[in-house]
Amino acid sequence: MSDRNIDSRLKWTAPALAAGWFLILSGLVGTHVACAGSETADNKACLRCHQMTTLAYRDPETGKIVDLSIDPKALSHSAHGELACSDCHAPDFERYPHPQRLKNESLSCVRCHEGQDDAAERLYRFQTIDEEFEHSVHATSDDPKVAGFSCHSCHDPHAFRNSQVGEDIAQIVRADNAICLSCHTKVQDPLRDPHTWLPNREKHQESVRCLDCHTPVSEDGQTVSHQILAGNDSNRDCVNCHSKKPQLLNRLYQYRSETDLANQGWVSKALFNEAYVVGMSRSPLIDRLALAIIGITLLVLGAHGYGRYRAHRRSKEDQA
Amino acid sequence: MSQLYLYARWVRIWHWINALLFLTLMYSGASMHFNGAVLLLDFQTAITVHNTAGILLTIGWIGFVIGNLISTNGRHYHVQLKGFIGRLIAQSLYYGYGIFKNAPHPFHPSAEAKLNTLQQITYIGVMYLLMPLLIISGWAFLFSVYLPETLLGIGSVWVVAMSHLTIAYLLVLFLLVHLYIITTGETVMTNMRAMLTGWHRDSHQETEG
Repeated sequence: MSDRNIDSRLKWTAPALAAGWFLILSGLVGTHVACAGSETADNKACLRCHQMTTLAYRDPETGKIVDLSIDPKALSHSAHGELACSDCHAPDFERYPHPQRLKNESLSCVRCHEGQDDAAERLYRFQTIDEEFEHSVHATSDDPKVAGFSCHSCHDPHAFRNSQVGEDIAQIVRADNAICLSCHTKVQDPLRDPHTWLPNREKHQESVRCLDCHTPVSEDGQTVSHQILAGNDSNRDCVNCHSKKPQLLNRLYQYRSETDLANQGWVSKALFNEAYVVGMSRSPLIDRLALAIIGITLLVLGAHGYGRYRAHRRSKEDQA
Repeated sequence: MSQLYLYARWVRIWHWINALLFLTLMYSGASMHFNGAVLLLDFQTAITVHNTAGILLTIGWIGFVIGNLISTNGRHYHVQLKGFIGRLIAQSLYYGYGIFKNAPHPFHPSAEAKLNTLQQITYIGVMYLLMPLLIISGWAFLFSVYLPETLLGIGSVWVVAMSHLTIAYLLVLFLLVHLYIITTGETVMTNMRAMLTGWHRDSHQETEG
């Protein structure tokens, strides 16, 4: 994915077309022709070329391969699966070769999503997402690697879909973290991984999303903030999940609980569940207080028993 | 020596099943709460065991309440307000002082009243206050998605978790005191034997123990 500069997808130049044609022709051999979910003639026409896995060109400026292929299956299952290509892209794209003036076409996720009739009722407000993203390390960092970072850098508009309650949590976590790891390769290198301080590192990576620690708890009711935090600003406090911090705990627990219910139904949910977060009921104060009271009670009961034993001995001696 | 049949078969069966579930829940609960410490259950096993025992405890508790409603056993939980304070003081004085002076038991069980006043208020507190709260908080854990996001301004899962934990500790405390207090019958084994056989022996001539 690091080689796949989606943003510059539309920036092609004449020399690249020649290379593109070569790849198109080679891709035609053995290409399985499949149709997108939205069976519009428009999409079919676009996918005739763009469904080929080898459709790409080398950006002459950056030297990187720009992937132009779209997986029709992923597209049809994506959040945009019902749309026609021209709903987002300019209709002029139907002409081939695509007109030069379209190369700088800009697509605004926020404008389109906020323009929906039911935008206000949706779980995520794109206006909020945009504001959060503005404060994200991906937007504020001056590292050249994040230059031009946009929604599409993480959310491939031709494949992205929200995870659904009921899906396997491990699978959601894997897919979600794969997006981060596609750029943050250091994390996968055991010698350079900045998470070495984290106890049970592998277990954490299997069970929670990078986002769960690397975003602040959002106060606006949206499940996950889009304000990605820098490593140093991220949650390093175990207690935030493994104890009381209600929002973070709720975020993990409730989602898992819902998923358990959807997957297993009531009875199974009552017996087996994946929702429990280790240490979520841990309260050092209650633990210490309770264990102290229990200890004192045992001492008192022991002393009481000893007193009774002495009284019993005394009464036996009196009888003798 | 007199013998009284105080504990009906259903009460004894319920009592011992409940005792077993209590121990199971304490052990599996501790295994989840203090996961990683020695001699505890594996985390996933503990969850399944705890949930299963919790459901059975709920069924048992409902059975206990229904049993008390339809049988005569329920009358032992009706507090007689007349002389209540006096009886409470007498019983407390006995446990705190008289028992060391070989004073006679201030209370003798009968078919009408098998529990002394201190026992009675403890059992009412445990069975009709703590147990329902424990059960409700336990089920609330399982189905917390149906709870509001916050309770009293705090995250609902946290409120549920702390209530469940506090009540669990109180019930551990109850169990310890209960285990000790049953040895304070006429002899050390009198009360234990009664809960096994149903028959309570009340004899001033008994000397064993």
